[in-house]
Amino acid sequence: MSDTATKTRALDHGAPPERFARGWHCLGLESMFNDGKPHAVEAFGGKLVVWSDTQGNINVLDGYCRHMGGDLTQGTVKGDEIACPFHDWRWGGDGKCKSIPYARRVPLRARTQKYPAVIRNGHLMIWHDVEGSEADLDILPPELPGVGTDEYTDWTWEVLDVPTAHCREIIDNVVDMAHFFYIHFAFPTSFRNVFEGHVATQFMESKGRPDMGGSGYGDADLVLKSEASYYGPSYMINWLWVDYKGFETEVILINCHVPTSDNSFKLQYGVCVKKPEGVDEETAQYIGKRYSDTFKEGFEQDVHIWLNKAPVQNPLLCEEDGPVYQLRRWYEQFYVDKADVVPEMTDRFEFEVDTTKANEYWQEEVAENLRRKAEQEGAGHGHAEAERSDDVAPDSAMTGT
Amino acid sequence: MASFVPTSEETLEDQRLYTQARLTEVACLDCLAKVSVKKNSEHHTSIQWNDEALRQCPEFSRMDRSPGGRPVHAACPRLVASIEAAAREGLVPIGAEDGW
Repeated sequence: MSDTATKTRALDHGAPPERFARGWHCLGLESMFNDGKPHAVEAFGGKLVVWSDTQGNINVLDGYCRHMGGDLTQGTVKGDEIACPFHDWRWGGDGKCKSIPYARRVPLRARTQKYPAVIRNGHLMIWHDVEGSEADLDILPPELPGVGTDEYTDWTWEVLDVPTAHCREIIDNVVDMAHFFYIHFAFPTSFRNVFEGHVATQFMESKGRPDMGGSGYGDADLVLKSEASYYGPSYMINWLWVDYKGFETEVILINCHVPTSDNSFKLQYGVCVKKPEGVDEETAQYIGKRYSDTFKEGFEQDVHIWLNKAPVQNPLLCEEDGPVYQLRRWYEQFYVDKADVVPEMTDRFEFEVDTTKANEYWQEEVAENLRRKAEQEGAGHGHAEAERSDDVAPDSAMTGT
Repeated sequence: MASFVPTSEETLEDQRLYTQARLTEVACLDCLAKVSVKKNSEHHTSIQWNDEALRQCPEFSRMDRSPGGRPVHAACPRLVASIEAAAREGLVPIGAEDGW
């Protein structure tokens, strides 16, 4: 046997990047921040203060006062400014100290870190770049037509803490075809990736696993078409067309995250649903909530894996796997200086995963599971499955993550 | 400077294998854009574009202009057909090495 065939393979854990990604990051819904009070957001290894001024503009600054380090998030909004709780220094949304009530004049150097903020699709987006570049408005995520109007339900919003993993773990899911069977209990029947510029996309079609129906996860009546694009390093728009027992729903899921340290992040997601015709307002909002609940299970399944896995720079791939190395090459563009972004990071790349063999094997596995289950139930060891489903939304629908 | 720093030389070789090995150049039969292709199986296709090829593809620009289109184009049907034709003619080898 050759050397390669016999040598033990080692995991290369690598070293996490020393910086946080350049690009637009979503802090949450606009409505979470426009109550005239200061809000604390953990991000980029520190804390930010977020508040809305009298014109309704949302401002984002570093959370600590440049005077003596007071915690601005515990301060007070006074007029358009955030006032430090320690000595009442007043900071404006432009990052400049506007006044110090007990001082003759404000020091010329009283300027703090500000994060340019934009509201997009009802979400607060901020620009982060360690190089201090101007916010690049051209690469904001696209506007979603109809969202925020009566055509769609209101955004739901949830936050999951991921305290011991680098946020690249969630990015890797863009190309991870097989985990959709094992972690999210679905058959990914078609799977394709496209990376181009600052956008990384996954196109997927899937069906629920009938052997998991009883546990409230997979559901054979579920056919899903998903298009999920990361616009930059952390904000994914996931369009989902769900066919559940013939009832079709158009769902938009935002899956985004904010890195909090080099080994932790906050995962956030929001759902809105195109209101189906002939469905009253209450039912429509209920459908949105149901999808949000169901996606929560999926994200929790992912988080459980990340919290327990090892970081790996040299994943070993089989023929059925997606293009992990190319995805990471794309992701690298956000972690190097703008001047060091090379064409191979941004050039268009397409990858069609061959799902045929995998689905053959999985069909056999599921058939065997169903056979065993039927046997057990026949022998009286089974228990009646609670009928949890209704016809408007499945108990669990998969996302592109 | 790389940000996610591998600690092993072998990792760099893996990166090369998975991203650059076994690529075959295929030109689109319509617009002559040249891309690098790999096929691990009949249903699998990996396509590496470059800037020049992308600018040459009239299909993507047409899709960009068509109303109601998706923001990201999954594929150029003309290029897909060209790659299929090249594979049929045996110009693109089909089959993987050790997972790459």
